[in-house]
Amino acid sequence: MSSIGMILNIATTALNAQQYGMGVTAQNIANVNTEGYSRQNPVLVAKQPLMYGGLLLGRGVDTEKVSRSSDQFIENKLMQEKSNMSSSSEMEKYMQVLEGFFNENSGTSISTMVSDFWNRWYDISNNPSGASERISLYEQSVLLSEQFNALGTDLIQIDTDLTGAVTSGIETINKITHEIAQVNGQIVSMEANNVANDLRDKRNTLVSELNEYLDVQAFEQSDGSLTIVAARGCTLVHGNSDYDLEMGGTNGDRVRWQNSSGSYVDITNYLTNGKLGGWLDMRDEIIAKNRLDLDALAKEIIWSVNQQHSQGVGLEGFSSVTGSYAVSDSGEELGTIDSGLDFYDKVSDGTFNLWVYDSNGAVVGGSATSITIDADPGGTTLTSLRNDIDAAANISTSITTDGKLKIDADSGYTFAFSDDTSNVLAAVGINAFFNGASAGGIEINDTIRLNKDFIAAAQVGSGGTMASGDNNNALAITDLQSTSMSISQWNCDRINGNIQGSIISTIEDYYHSMVGAIGIVSASVSRDRSFGEMMVNELSTIRDSISAVSLDEEMTNLIEFQHAYAAAAKLIGVADEMLNTLLELK
Amino acid sequence: MRVANKAIYDAVKYNLGSISEELNKANEIATTGKRINNLSDDPVGLTQSLNIRSTLESIEQMGRNISYGNSWLTASESALTRVEDILSDTKALCVQMASGTTGADQRSSAAGTVQNMLDEIVSLGNTDVTGNYIFAGSKTDTIPFDQDGTYNGDNNAFAIKISKNSTVEVGSDGEEVFGNIFNTLSDLKTALETNDLSGIQDAMGYLDGHFEDISAKISDIGSKMNRMEIKDKIYQDLNFSNTERLSKIEDADIAEAIMNLSAAELTYQAALASSSKVMTLLTLVDYLK
Repeated sequence: MSSIGMILNIATTALNAQQYGMGVTAQNIANVNTEGYSRQNPVLVAKQPLMYGGLLLGRGVDTEKVSRSSDQFIENKLMQEKSNMSSSSEMEKYMQVLEGFFNENSGTSISTMVSDFWNRWYDISNNPSGASERISLYEQSVLLSEQFNALGTDLIQIDTDLTGAVTSGIETINKITHEIAQVNGQIVSMEANNVANDLRDKRNTLVSELNEYLDVQAFEQSDGSLTIVAARGCTLVHGNSDYDLEMGGTNGDRVRWQNSSGSYVDITNYLTNGKLGGWLDMRDEIIAKNRLDLDALAKEIIWSVNQQHSQGVGLEGFSSVTGSYAVSDSGEELGTIDSGLDFYDKVSDGTFNLWVYDSNGAVVGGSATSITIDADPGGTTLTSLRNDIDAAANISTSITTDGKLKIDADSGYTFAFSDDTSNVLAAVGINAFFNGASAGGIEINDTIRLNKDFIAAAQVGSGGTMASGDNNNALAITDLQSTSMSISQWNCDRINGNIQGSIISTIEDYYHSMVGAIGIVSASVSRDRSFGEMMVNELSTIRDSISAVSLDEEMTNLIEFQHAYAAAAKLIGVADEMLNTLLELK
Repeated sequence: MRVANKAIYDAVKYNLGSISEELNKANEIATTGKRINNLSDDPVGLTQSLNIRSTLESIEQMGRNISYGNSWLTASESALTRVEDILSDTKALCVQMASGTTGADQRSSAAGTVQNMLDEIVSLGNTDVTGNYIFAGSKTDTIPFDQDGTYNGDNNAFAIKISKNSTVEVGSDGEEVFGNIFNTLSDLKTALETNDLSGIQDAMGYLDGHFEDISAKISDIGSKMNRMEIKDKIYQDLNFSNTERLSKIEDADIAEAIMNLSAAELTYQAALASSSKVMTLLTLVDYLK
């Protein structure tokens, strides 16, 4: 036989359980828009029945636990896709900037400038003695050089920006791993008694954020804590401890992890996903390649123009000229890297002619001094070249303190060069058109900047003749426009390093295919981003269908609990009436 | 499948995002009139268009070279035609002077005419185009002929490029063109002054030779001008066909672009309408009192 007190007890458990249920529903409703929240359900069980009067009688209801609707497999898959997507979405942003630098839909593009540069040489070949044609070539060359300089600087700036992004990314990563370690500690202590639903959601959100920066693997330990491992097995979180990443290396641009024995592991090249992976791919592969290729192109323009220019002569001979390329050691052979010349590899065995003219324009000694260059070991050094040139009558030669060759004629005398088969004049920058050996360094040779008459449109004729209308050298320079040359082309790979190859191409075609390649990479990065976005969207929908809150559902639950609550209250009312009935018996 | 409220809003965000991206692209194409607005829009097409642009720049330059060269050739042609006229006048004068009925006085006064002719040929030999002497070889800034016909130029005729790998001599080595005309005329003058009949007859022989040489030079120049004209015509055709190709690669078909834009607009409007419906959809909350 049951007692009225028992009914009251059962009703009380029911009131409690339904009220609890409403509390959980309220929590779900409150978190309808919370990122990463998994909806919760109270799990109700009937209380252990008691033997009462020989029969089993229930004792009411109990809330056993609050379960969380979550599928860890989907959560992990989603994190992974988010990691992929952040990588390509960061790359896409930087590719758009890079595309902007190489925008060819404007009159200031390098492509147009290179074409115009050759065209100005054509103009000079049409009118070699014309001053305006010379000035116009000079202006065009300045524009071209400045455009190369600006592009070179822009690429360096992106490189710096990317390193900055990686540095601040690492700060965020360290903050997140620190928080995860803290949450780990809280979960372990709380789960001794309960399941820490909300903390687990919080931890999932943190791991998901972490995945947006770099790809990590997470393992749940038996105590409920999560161990997080990044590339090359570097542990970022274990239990309630976290291990920081830092920027280091010679240039402070490498991502490093400190192991327990205090030594550093460089993991830069192994970070392939997340924002960090995107930034590093961009910096160490795409930007690196374009910087090297642009330098190679600038170097080829500088060399091919200088090489031909140094064969010619301007409207007048030199009275004094200083080379533009310095050696680091004037005692080293010019054809070796030890000389420190930018174009040491172009120096070969050969000869050139030095013509000296007196004040009447007559060739001193009636013929040229032929100077022989030996590019082999033991051959010509800057010092021996100086001595050989110095031996010519009415010429004095010196080496400047910064390692450049300087040639001076006696007062009233002038000199010119011809038929250089050794490339030595262009290599030391005598009678050259450009200075520098890279996109950032290209500029107009000082001699020409100061006097446009030294633009060498002509060539010294046999017997040393010079003619203002001679356009042979200008014509030879215009030939370069359609000449295919071997130009370095780089392949930059973070694992295998930067590998130098070369292609045979004209200068313009090389640049065009470089621009085309940027477009191809950019298009493929955009496709990756768009695909990643779609995957994240799909997986989010699946995740949400499992874990996110539906208000309709919660309303239904609310009514369910409300009615059960009302019924339980009614039960108490009935028990009350029953007690009253008893108490009213007199 | 369960549809959570968040899923509805996320889907609206994602769909509107991707549709507005398409709308933006369609709008970019329609407003710029170009298919390729960024390198990544069509990298292969872009590379082709860059190559074509370079070609067009070269063609334009070759056009300038040709018109420059033509100005030299035209000046040479008219100068030499005038020389030819003078030579035939001189020949006529010689025939008259060689006649037995001509007296020493007449011959002596004809010597003055010959001097004038000589002066005129020297001045024609010193013809210039914008300050460059066309009969001075490559010494274009030096007056090629002195009053007595002494040559100061050199023997390298001035040449320009009319294509990437061909040059045309548009100037001339004055020594080669004028040869001994000056000597012949000056000898003739002396012969007239000294009433030397055989000298006059010799000159007549030489004049025939000179006339032929100059005629040959004129027809040489004529054929060069013809070659330039053909080349120019070819460049005009190339210019046209390359411009057309460039347009095909770069330019958007406006009708198609506008249609695509309208289609994207329509899609966008439909998405907006349906999204606003979904988002304002009544939930159970609205029905519970």
